Amino acid sequence: MRRAALLLLALAASASLGACDDGTPEPSPEAGGPVVLTYWTSQNPQERAWADVLVAEWNAAHPEVQVEAQPIPAGQSSEEVLLAAVVAGTTPDLCSNIWPGVLNDFIRAGGVVPLDRMPGFDSLMAARTPPELADRFVSADGHVYQLPWKTNPILMIYNADLFEAAGVARPPRTYSEDVAAAERITADTDGDGQTDRWMSARDIRPIWWQRYFDVYPLYLAASGGRTFFDARGELAIDEDALREVYGFFQTLYQRGHLPLSTLQGNAFAQRRIATEFTGPWTAAWLVENAPDLRFDFAPVPVPDGFDGEPVTYGDYKNIAVFSSTEHPEAAWAFAQFLVSPEADRLLLETTRQIPLRAGLLEDPALAGFFDQTPSMRRFAEQAPHTRGVDAVPSLTEVLDAIAQSYERAIYGAETPAEAVASAGERIRVIQEWAH
Amino acid sequence: MPAELPTVDSAERVAVAATLAPDAGAAPSASGGRPGRAARDWRGPLLAAPYFVHLAVFFGYPLVFALVLVFHRWDLVTPMEWVGLGNLARLVADDLFARAMLNTGLFLLIHIPLQIVVALFFAELLNKRLPGQGFFRAIYFLPVVVSGVVVTILFAQLFAFDSGYVNRVLVALGGERVPWLVSPAWAMPAIALVATWKNVGLYVLLFLAGLQNIPAPLYEAAEVEGASRWQTWWLVTLPLLNPHMVTVVVLSTIGGFSLFVEPYVLTGGGPLNSTLSGLLYIYNQAFTFNHMGYAATLGLAFALLILVVVLVQRRVVEAEAT
Amino acid sequence: MRGRLPRLLAQAALVAGAVVFAYPFVWMALATLKPEAEISALNPLPSRWTAESYRLVFETIPLGRAFWNSVLVTGLVTTLALVFGSVTAYALARLSWRGREAAFALILFTMMVPFLVLLIPLYTLVVGFGWTDSYAGLVVPFMMNATAVLILRQHFLSLPQGLIDAARIDGAGEVRILFQIVWPLSVPALVTAGIIVFIGSWNEVLWPLLVVRDEAMMTMPQMVTLFAVGGGAESRLGPQLAAALLLALPVILAYAAFQRRFVESLATTGLKG
Repeated sequence: MRRAALLLLALAASASLGACDDGTPEPSPEAGGPVVLTYWTSQNPQERAWADVLVAEWNAAHPEVQVEAQPIPAGQSSEEVLLAAVVAGTTPDLCSNIWPGVLNDFIRAGGVVPLDRMPGFDSLMAARTPPELADRFVSADGHVYQLPWKTNPILMIYNADLFEAAGVARPPRTYSEDVAAAERITADTDGDGQTDRWMSARDIRPIWWQRYFDVYPLYLAASGGRTFFDARGELAIDEDALREVYGFFQTLYQRGHLPLSTLQGNAFAQRRIATEFTGPWTAAWLVENAPDLRFDFAPVPVPDGFDGEPVTYGDYKNIAVFSSTEHPEAAWAFAQFLVSPEADRLLLETTRQIPLRAGLLEDPALAGFFDQTPSMRRFAEQAPHTRGVDAVPSLTEVLDAIAQSYERAIYGAETPAEAVASAGERIRVIQEWAH
Repeated sequence: MPAELPTVDSAERVAVAATLAPDAGAAPSASGGRPGRAARDWRGPLLAAPYFVHLAVFFGYPLVFALVLVFHRWDLVTPMEWVGLGNLARLVADDLFARAMLNTGLFLLIHIPLQIVVALFFAELLNKRLPGQGFFRAIYFLPVVVSGVVVTILFAQLFAFDSGYVNRVLVALGGERVPWLVSPAWAMPAIALVATWKNVGLYVLLFLAGLQNIPAPLYEAAEVEGASRWQTWWLVTLPLLNPHMVTVVVLSTIGGFSLFVEPYVLTGGGPLNSTLSGLLYIYNQAFTFNHMGYAATLGLAFALLILVVVLVQRRVVEAEAT
Repeated sequence: MRGRLPRLLAQAALVAGAVVFAYPFVWMALATLKPEAEISALNPLPSRWTAESYRLVFETIPLGRAFWNSVLVTGLVTTLALVFGSVTAYALARLSWRGREAAFALILFTMMVPFLVLLIPLYTLVVGFGWTDSYAGLVVPFMMNATAVLILRQHFLSLPQGLIDAARIDGAGEVRILFQIVWPLSVPALVTAGIIVFIGSWNEVLWPLLVVRDEAMMTMPQMVTLFAVGGGAESRLGPQLAAALLLALPVILAYAAFQRRFVESLATTGLKG
């Protein structure tokens, strides 16, 4: 049976090689034409614009290695599309939109090239990546398959006008400050007897990845940056921290400060909610779509009595070179070009996303940018204090177990302690199945 | 998020039901058997061959593959791994799958009676041949032809708790907001309501066809006997509609088992798993968690269950008919 | 039938029903022409008419290309399903052969198995054929349709044997009999089967999501789903509804054009209980 499956995968791979050709003209080296690399970027229009600028620059300077940029084919999520491409062997030469959570699958499928064997890898990492994060990108086998590229730290955005009007002097730092502010902000503004303004709102559907924008960043903050698994891949949830987080959300939902429903449309832009946990992309969007809204960012709240710099979730996107490439060195050279200081500056300025580069705030070339957009300074400050996701098998299923237990807590079906305990049990079952 | 119909489309189910209904089941041997047998024996298989070759490739092979998967663990990425009866053992102990079955049962319990009552009501009205009946008939059928994606996008907004149009109207009329998709008690009924709204037009047509086939003299006879309108309806109309009733029940059952798009988009299976349907659970196992072997096991168990339920329904119906 | 009042009540109920079934679509159509902020307002009419939602849809996604892909795929699927469905149905209804009943039972069985169960193996198969991002991948697996066979078989069973016998005496082959004699007599059944296949094929989302990743090959429902439920609409309601309406429109128009025929043939062919 194993043979049958392998055969099928082989079949899939060979068939898709053929299919790949009609999309991308790839002249053979014998023909003497230039090497052509296919490079997948994110779908996001700003990122595509960024890539177009860099690719044009590269192509002009390197006639022998021509790059063709394509947005990741649209799919449910880019992770799913990439995984399908790895399985089918239809991957590009390189891609700059790799979420570390799926990298594990790519490695097991032999779909990506170890980059630590490439010339100049170590010096590039040492020069660019913030030192406190450098060892977080090493995979279980000791190799590095991703070039850390950018991160989007999750912070709390707040509506400065709503805060002012409700007499909330500064953004809440702790859970009790947050609940106190929520009490002032949540209201029925049109007098029809129904609440129509809330402290915040979340998509409450039990969808695993939604928890990256509520439970996970707050858990990382409360636990001082401990992820769910330890370095050996063993489950190591900080249960006290998770209980605190569940308790916090349970209070907010049970008191009606957060609506126990999924608000339609952009509630923050419509001033129906005062805060939200989100990344820098929201700032860019609001500037364009709600120009008269006054907002700022603050760290996510922490349990009372917590001190220190809160860590948060950083939505990392990294660069990987795929095994399907015939020109790994050329792809690596282009990857290095994508993280040059100039490219990083352009990324920050045009897409408002944070390149994972040490010393951004000290870069004189960026001083003007940070002065003009103070909210981006907050993200740049936060960037080194971020954690990504654990590279473990069944990651989505573990997150699903968290999402399910979180749901039981906010609906009041279980106490925070019960919810944390049942999540742990479920995760152990999931891990048993996985072995 | 993706969304739809790994299901038999509601209109498609008509044909299944038509074949399963008692009269139709008897038909094939009656007229098809006559033509000159021996002489043309090879023509039938020859004509049917393309269909069955296609079926072997695009149904047979996947089915066998799914059967093989039952005994394996496979995450699409790495080679399959033999696990014997592991997947079956897991199924037996899986509370969530049991919950999904229970939810499907609850959905059917709401959906089928609601469907029948609403469909009968409008079929009766249409049968009065009032002005504009062709127009009304067409309007009632409209949601049936529109994609499930459109319907769910639409109802996500209509049923939104705080700003949804339905709750706006309720509040404007002095009522309370209804937690349509967000309370564990309301979510499944709300989804049953959406599914009924989408499909009931089909059943209106079915019952209408049945009503129009009832011979007028039967009603006249009932009137002569002095039966009240209610008695006439109960004693004449309803029994004569029985075959259609069966069709509706079979169709709604198969349709109910294929519930997927609505919970997938509207609730994600929540709150508290109250709208987790069988197919949604299988979908998650396969495409969210990449447990292809376990998903195949669940899928085949599910298919078997549908088959048993439909066969039992058919048996009951046939027993009643004779 | 008897009093005036009951008739009036009945008429009122019919109108109420029409409102229930049609109003959500009307609301949706009006909402797409409103400024974003007014969509959840009680008043369904826009204070200011705007095509902003549509502009955003057409700016973000190549819906025109997707429309033609859908037309081509759905057209091919429907045509092939009717041609091959007729041939098969004819063999099942009008020819007698060993294994015919078993063959028919097999077709019924295929309809009982949820498509989801077959999805993954079918996907690997199509990948193996190299049919991802191609029309073949969208059309070939669905060119045979069990529903069409059932409806057509049911109808073919009801045709008088004399017609077919007469043609045979004239020396006509079975294929000729099917397309020259049986088809012209089966228009209602063909319309019913055709529309059912058309609707099913037009509305299919899950399969294209799996096999098509190249934007130029995407079908319309796939693109609308990705746009509305994925991130394209940036959680703006108007564009989501506009894309959904654009997806529904071709089916609604096709239905409006054929509805009299369709509804009548549905009531007389497939539904004989």
